[in-house]
Amino acid sequence: MKIVAAKKILKANDQLAAENRAECDAAGVFAVNIVGSPGAGKTTLLEALFAHLKGRIKPAVIEGDIAGSIDADRMEKIGVPVVQINTDGACHLDAVMIANATKELDLAGVDVLMIENVGNLVCTAGFDLGEHLRIIVLSTSEGDDKAVKYPAIFQGSHALFITKIDLLPHLNFNVERITADMKRLAPEAPVFQVSALHGDGVPAAAEWLAERLAKKHG
Amino acid sequence: MHELSIVEALIDQVQQELDRAGQQGRVLQLDVSIGRLSGVHPESVRFAFGLLTPGTILDRAEIVIEEPKPVCHCHVCEAQVEIDDLVVQCPKCAADEITIEGGRDMLLQSIEIEES
Repeated sequence: MKIVAAKKILKANDQLAAENRAECDAAGVFAVNIVGSPGAGKTTLLEALFAHLKGRIKPAVIEGDIAGSIDADRMEKIGVPVVQINTDGACHLDAVMIANATKELDLAGVDVLMIENVGNLVCTAGFDLGEHLRIIVLSTSEGDDKAVKYPAIFQGSHALFITKIDLLPHLNFNVERITADMKRLAPEAPVFQVSALHGDGVPAAAEWLAERLAKKHG
Repeated sequence: MHELSIVEALIDQVQQELDRAGQQGRVLQLDVSIGRLSGVHPESVRFAFGLLTPGTILDRAEIVIEEPKPVCHCHVCEAQVEIDDLVVQCPKCAADEITIEGGRDMLLQSIEIEES
């Protein structure tokens, strides 16, 4: 005998993600999923964005890493509430991990929850965490062909932040090419060029984020 | 290699479907569909399935994987073309104004169980 199911295999994850989103909505929290390769500069970007928006936002961070708490320590150092998730080898965060991590945070005092995903351009694309916005971070040293090589992660993202833009003079990275590829994959998504270490482009990217946050709360 | 966690989710889901249908018979075959753009490799799913199912309700079950292709709709020449991989231009007229639909979902289609 045959049982017809016709259901999404990650339905359990998707359902829990929807619950996470509802919980954030109820608490007035805007959740952002930050994805990108290891070493793309996700944590440094967060530090730069928080510095620029200091006093205007009440952030909290969930750090996803296979092991260790190096990133969470950096957030603690700048006074941002943080929960570290160690995935013990898993290549992505999922909605269950986020549901557990948010229990550790006092969401009442938070308006932006930044979720720094495990550094990975492949697996992170398949798992909705319950975020309102997904930002793909790509550093110039990774090459301008990444959108064509890893389309899924770019396609589902709401913005592309190109980091380490100060390295451009030393690299063969064509900003027009990646911008055009992103435009085809995600026509609505803005593209920002930043150097998180030196501050170039950080204001524009941070203000866009603040605008999205205001729109959500407005 | 998140195919492992996908197969874990699949095993849970089959259990839920069986509970809901009030069935306890042995599972003979699972029909699943894994879209070409899902980012999941059917071979890795088969490998993970073989690794994770012994001792579960899916012990010795067959997994049959269908791989639906996405369709590229061109807004210029109006062609509708099935594609194997993601494209950024219409395969017929090379226009940029395209929409790609389907091929992303992973579905548990049906479960075949032994008559008890």
